This record gives sequence, structure tokens and C-alpha cells, in this order.
Amino acid sequence: MIGKVLIANRGEIALRVIRACRELGVRSVAVYSTADADSLHRILADESVCIGPPPASESYLNIPAIISAAEVSGAQAIHPGYGFLSENARFAEICERSGVRFIGPSSKAIARMGDKSAARETAARAGVPVVPGSEGVCSSAEEVMRVGAEVGYPLLIKAAAGGGGKGMRVVENEREAKAAFVAASREAKAAFGDGSVYVERYLERLRHVEIQVLADGRGRVAAFPERDCSIQRRHQKLLEESPAPDFPDEVRTRMMDAAASLALSLEYEGAGTVEFVYSGGEFYFIEMNTRLQVEHPVTEMVAGVDLVSEQIRIASGEGMSVPERPTASGHAMEFRINAEDPRKNFIPQTGQVEFYNPPGGPGVRVDSHLYPGYRVPPHYDSLLAKLIVHANDRHGAVRRGVRALDEFAIAGLETTLPLHLAVLEDEGFVKGDVYTGFLAERRLASEDGVLKLSTLTA
Amino acid sequence: MQERREKIEAEGAGRQMLPHEDLRRLVELLRESGIGEISVRQGDLEVTVKARSEGLPVQAAPPSLPDEPERAKPPAPEEPPAVEGNGLHAVRSPVVGTFYRSPSPDDPPYVEVGDRVEAGQTLCIIEAMKLMNEIPADVSGEVVEVLVENASGVEYDQPLFYLRPEG
Repeated sequence: MIGKVLIANRGEIALRVIRACRELGVRSVAVYSTADADSLHRILADESVCIGPPPASESYLNIPAIISAAEVSGAQAIHPGYGFLSENARFAEICERSGVRFIGPSSKAIARMGDKSAARETAARAGVPVVPGSEGVCSSAEEVMRVGAEVGYPLLIKAAAGGGGKGMRVVENEREAKAAFVAASREAKAAFGDGSVYVERYLERLRHVEIQVLADGRGRVAAFPERDCSIQRRHQKLLEESPAPDFPDEVRTRMMDAAASLALSLEYEGAGTVEFVYSGGEFYFIEMNTRLQVEHPVTEMVAGVDLVSEQIRIASGEGMSVPERPTASGHAMEFRINAEDPRKNFIPQTGQVEFYNPPGGPGVRVDSHLYPGYRVPPHYDSLLAKLIVHANDRHGAVRRGVRALDEFAIAGLETTLPLHLAVLEDEGFVKGDVYTGFLAERRLASEDGVLKLSTLTA
Repeated sequence: MQERREKIEAEGAGRQMLPHEDLRRLVELLRESGIGEISVRQGDLEVTVKARSEGLPVQAAPPSLPDEPERAKPPAPEEPPAVEGNGLHAVRSPVVGTFYRSPSPDDPPYVEVGDRVEAGQTLCIIEAMKLMNEIPADVSGEVVEVLVENASGVEYDQPLFYLRPEG
């Protein structure tokens, strides 16, 4: 087993990795910026190294500082967490060359999945269904029209280097193709420095369903039952659950097989997630995240697995301790508690946590770096805590979620806690009618100080 | 690098708070105006927002009530002032790496305690990713103390030397 792991991250995920290290008997090294001197990950790790000033570009994204910290602390491996350097192929390569084990897949696999059109081609070649559309990049509006004639309208033009909705255009018919192609290319060029775009069939009322995979790098791949992450706000996941509501067993089996086949074709190693859109009984590949995800505890709760320990075990060359088709039991839901004010258009909140009391009791897990008196710095993302509940079935998970969210007290700054309560009380959500447009099609209003969702009337 | 387990000082909850919106507006005002300090009194509540010496706004001090004088001060920021109470100046590490007092193992140290150094003069080397970074004195003065042992790891912002500044 690796003796010492440096965690190149902060917040709740750094704590999550420290906890896994503790249980495995592996020493942990925290790195922190001067803004995080009072943070729990610094305090709970066995050792800590200050790597730079508050801006992430000079600390948590500062590759030389992190590699130096690994060298001076004698860490044999680096766990990147999620975000920051976790999907940076260059960082993985520098680790490989510096003789420090990067806990994750090879830099090659990261690079391949990081390029969206290469990822799409790789998936198609591995027999994974992709959204019908262009093969690779479209270089002209005429090509867009050719795809339209073949797979039908509406189409969606997307940036090859993209993300976050930049360089995206919906094309309703052939007449719109030219203008949309020009606009999307220009936007992609401005946002990513690369104007390449590709085209897909535009799917409506779709769901986001994903498969967690774990691969030992020696040809064994475990594909877990799905997570549904359809409840999103502006492409940011808010609430995730497993199993996906109203999801046929036959689709589940096919989706798990597809994810495993992609991981195998990449000679993948470690944890990863294959994301799909699910619409009208069919699913299509969107992308693969070559790292641990925020919502990994949902799978941990239903499958009874410790994904972070498995990552460390695999990186140590000890293989993994889960079967290739792990089973799941019960229903789990995760609520992301962000430092954002849902009553004021989700404006980010910084400042001091005056009071903090996380919920407890049966089937409740909280992953968080908060404590009373902790000051939320303005430099990093707004995730404060993840509340995960587990119960026998979806109805039980909703009831338990309401109970735990009610108990959860954070004072001193506004959070998304009341938004989650509003979602759990929504009739459509309770029936399992989830889709990515769920929140966009609802109005959020305060009634006697309580947040409620109501459907927008057209 | 060494074991660190510190008590977290929780501050008393339930003090009267100013809405965060207003605090943010104060900080913005401070940033835009470039002045050093803004105080606002609103009934019993007084809030002072101060800028750091570089002109960057720091976190607002918690509002203090007149009947609660000086009780709950925020934990002191990590960075002590450049000149410590004893009149000494700390030279801090700008990078994470390994500290070396001499250019090579066979050479004598760049400086010894008691030496007089000019601003800009090399005090030590910090090796980071096989790169040798020469660390200069940022003030002229006398070397009073070497705080780190040769060939040991240092973190960002760690004090390396104490100098007694001239003048």
C-alpha cells in the first residue's frame, strides 16, 4: 500500500480523502492556501504544507508548488479530488515524470476524454450509443445541413472544446443552419480559443443519468447501478439520486455494459463516470469524467462501497475489492448545500458560519468542511456540505431527506437548504418526474418565509 | 510539515449581524475608493472595514456592540506584520521547496548570523522541482537568526530569517 498521500484539493473533498487515508492507515498531507489556514483539511491531515496565496491559480492550480510539496513531504502519491487539477492531463503527466503516483487514470486517457469530439468518436467505436449527429468536427454550414437531412431537426451545435453552454446553438430547420453555425463557431473561438464545433440531434425533456465505473487497470472494470442527476440549475447539478426513478432494468443493464465497454477500450484505471442523456427510453453518451465526482457518495450508500479507498488501493497496485457488476440496495439522495441565496437569484455568500448543526440519525451522512466560526472564503466554489440520505425506497428517502434538511442548521449565511426542501415538496418530483428542465420550468417563490416551487403557466 | 493540531476558536454566535449585502457593499466601496478604512454606525451597531497595507480589502471586522467591548476579536490573520514587535523583519519563503543555506554542499553558507546584508543580496536557495531559486533579502540589515535548518522543507510564506533592518 502507498504510505503517504498528498491531497491536492480543499474543502469537503479533501476531508473525504483524508478520512479514507485514516481508515486505510495511510498518512495524509494537506496542501492549503493562506486563505485556508483555518480549514479543517489542514487541521485533520497528518501533515500540511502551505502552497501559496488565496487565488487558486497561485495555490491549488499551482503545479510546481504542489509537486514540490509532495517532494518535501515525501508523499508517494497525489489524490487530485475533483475540480482544480483533477482532469488536467499535463498535471497527471508531470506527476508520472516526477515519480509521484497520480491517483487516477493515465494522462492519455484524461486527454482523450477531455476532447469532446475525440471522446464521442472513442465511445462510438467502443459500441456506446452516441447522440445521432456529425462524425467529429463540422467545418461548414453545408455539413450541418447534411447531418440535418440525415438525422432530422432540431439539431444542437456544440463547441468541441466546450462546456457550460458556450458555443451552443439550437437549429430548428435548414434555414437557420448557416447563421447558427457562424455564431456558434465565433462564440467557441472567443471562449475556448478553438472554433471547432460538432452537431448532434437536439433531445427534448431529457434526463441526465450516469454510471460510476471503477477499473483496476488490469482488465477488470466494475460498473455500478446508475445515478440520476437531472435536477440541475444552469447545468450545475443540485440533487442526485440512485436508482433513477422509473428506470427499466433492461436499460440499466445496457447502460452499465456500455460504460464498462468504454472504460475497457480506454484501458482505464481508477474511478470515473460515464455520463448519458436519457430520453424516450433510449440513452446516449455525453462525456466521461475521468475523476471522482461530487456525487460519488450516492453510489457509496446504495452499493456499500468506499470509492476513495478503492482508488487508493488500485493506485497501490492492489486491485479492487468490488465485483464487476456490483448490486445496490435501497434508495439514496444527495443534496448539495451551496453558499448561495436562493431568494436572491443564487448570489454567492461569503462570511462567517455563526452556528452549525448538521443532522444525524438513521440513514444520514454529511460530508462537509464547516464548523461554527468557519469563515467561507470568497476565492473558491460555493459547496459547503453534501447531505446524503439512504432509505429502503424512494418514498422513504424523500421523507428522510425532508427530516434531515429540516434539522440542518447553518446560520451566518444563506444556503440552498430551503431550495432542496421546496424540491422535495414538489408534486412532480415526488412522482419521479425529473428532467434537466425541471427547475427552469418552475418559479421559486417565498410564501410566509418558506420557499415553494410552482409550475410556470405558459 | 510537522504535526499540526490546533484548536479552532469558535466565536460566540448570535451577535447582532449586519446584512451581508451591506457588508459586501462596504467592501466594494472600500476597494473602489482606495481609502484605508470605513466605519459605519447604525443604532447600536458599529462596523469598521479596513484595507490591508497593499490596498486590498480584508474581511470586515465583526460588528462590535458598545456593551461588548473588544471581547470577540476575530482570530489574528496568518500574516504577522513585516516588522515584528521586537523590531525584527522576517524574510519569508515565496515558494514551497527545500531550503539550502549554500550554493552547493561544499560551499560556505551565503550568510551567517551577525552578517550585514544589502537588500537584494542572496540569503539562501530554495529548490522547487529541480529549480534553484535564489532568495534575496528584501531589506538591508543584520542577520539575527536563521529559522530553518539546512536541507529541510519549507512551505509558502514560512519565515526563513530574521533581519534587524537598518535605519
